[in-house]
Amino acid sequence: MSVLAVNRLCRELLRDHEFRAAMRSDPASALGRYELTAQERGALLAGDVATLYRLGVNAFLMGYLARFEVCGLNLETYNSRIRSAADDVATADGH
Amino acid sequence: MAEIVGAFGVPHTPVFPWLVKRDGPDSETARLFARLTEHLAAVQPDLIVMFDTDHLNTFFLDNLPVFAVGVTEQFKGPCDEVRDCPIYTIKSLPDFAGHLRRAGVHAGFDLALVQDFPVDHSVAVPLHFMTPTMHIPVVPVFISGHISPLPTARRCFELGRLLRRAVVSWPRPLRVAVLGSGSFSLEVFGPRIAPGRSDGVPDPQWVTRILALLDHADVETLVASASEEQMLKAGNVGGELLNWIAMLGAFDACKPNFLAPQMQNGHAYAAWRLS
Repeated sequence: MSVLAVNRLCRELLRDHEFRAAMRSDPASALGRYELTAQERGALLAGDVATLYRLGVNAFLMGYLARFEVCGLNLETYNSRIRSAADDVATADGH
Repeated sequence: MAEIVGAFGVPHTPVFPWLVKRDGPDSETARLFARLTEHLAAVQPDLIVMFDTDHLNTFFLDNLPVFAVGVTEQFKGPCDEVRDCPIYTIKSLPDFAGHLRRAGVHAGFDLALVQDFPVDHSVAVPLHFMTPTMHIPVVPVFISGHISPLPTARRCFELGRLLRRAVVSWPRPLRVAVLGSGSFSLEVFGPRIAPGRSDGVPDPQWVTRILALLDHADVETLVASASEEQMLKAGNVGGELLNWIAMLGAFDACKPNFLAPQMQNGHAYAAWRLS
């Protein structure tokens, strides 16, 4: 269920301003409190939102990564990376 | 005698408060919301019942009701940092909300109870434009329109019918306006966003079709056409159409008094005056 943890930490970026600041300055440490798989952790730190999307992370919540510019993302990089997952739309977002 | 006096379909784009502040009262969005505000004022509602899809702010993936009713004296929002939109305290009418929920559960609608909750832009942005003084109480009814499996369009239409019966059985005079909040075709932060943007409109033809069905008061065809496959094909928030369909269930189908699209956003503004 660690996809739920990724979804949760994305929302924490909105709600917890200390976590937001920590994710901007030292994301590897800030992610330490979350139980994530190596793949999830690696994809987050790389800002690889296409992989996270394929793992089932909610796109709407991932938007906070771009909005608050963490893990090397901004609207421009987020946009080009998430659009590369366009072939996987049908399988995502379900629970 | 309680009655439904008006129905309104509204968008809730979170950048609209900022854009309207920047571009002024003559901007397209400001003028469209002003038309809805005129129609809302004309029907003199005592209560707004708002069908809404929360964006994982009121609820979350660990606890996600398909249908829920807010039963509370008041609630606050938006809780998701909406630029140039104040955080409002919005009063409610818990007696009516409880009555609606009781009527629903007894009729086979298992409506979840939520009593201590914030709302996000999807409730607050339309109210910011239409009732900025927040003098009209609001009862929110939440429909899970983003996370598959979505409730069926038929079920949401019947939820609107339930609201109508609950209004009719309310023992005191009450003028109720029904709002449905959301888009017809919109992808937000998903793979089908447009280049350079955080959103996109994957299925403009679906928007055009919905507009024609609304204009012809053909709610039956709309309900029959709004499959989960079609709504999600129209974007990851395409299921927000269900809020409009629930709103349409609250009155007998008729032509809207006002209907205007914003095709670039995949949504529309609509008003039905029923009194």
